[in-house]
Amino acid sequence: MVKTERMQADEVEPTPGNAWMIGAVAWFVPGLGHALQKRWIRAALMGGAVWLSFFIGLQMGGHMFDLSASEGSSTLLQVPPMIANIGTGALYIVSWLLGIGFADDPVQAARATYEYGNTFLLIAGLLNYLTMLDAFDIAAGRKP
Amino acid sequence: MCLFAVIAAVVFGAMAKEDNRERWLYGLKVFAEFIVIGLALGWLLYFIPW
Repeated sequence: MVKTERMQADEVEPTPGNAWMIGAVAWFVPGLGHALQKRWIRAALMGGAVWLSFFIGLQMGGHMFDLSASEGSSTLLQVPPMIANIGTGALYIVSWLLGIGFADDPVQAARATYEYGNTFLLIAGLLNYLTMLDAFDIAAGRKP
Repeated sequence: MCLFAVIAAVVFGAMAKEDNRERWLYGLKVFAEFIVIGLALGWLLYFIPW
């Protein structure tokens, strides 16, 4: 029994160090994780989808979330959508630093496309998490 | 909704399956599911007054 478990443990190959690096890069710049592995089509399709979704979201007047509680809501409620938004990596960080897409503007919130924009921004982050995992799996040799 | 479905279907299709034909089919299936379910939910909610 112990011997069988030990044999199974021996069969598990360790994750190569560069896979973690690729994963981090894939999160930070959508599509770059695949591009570094010369998966150009995947990089264009998956990374392109994330970038497109993000900019469509901003164009529609969407709002990104951070820990600053807006009027009538608690900070804790901001955490789940913030985690989704953070998935866009550098796009989120740069927008946060420049103050783009974070303002609580009633005029912006009154736009018909405001909620659609929010959804596109959330989806951009969530899709980039999937893209990141795909790039990691390829780098780790778990996926062709 | 169509734009959203296209973007999600591209990522799902690119990630899944082994060969290109299966990826295309899976992407189209995901796209169709988003559209059909979106329209169905839209009509369902249209008849619910609250």
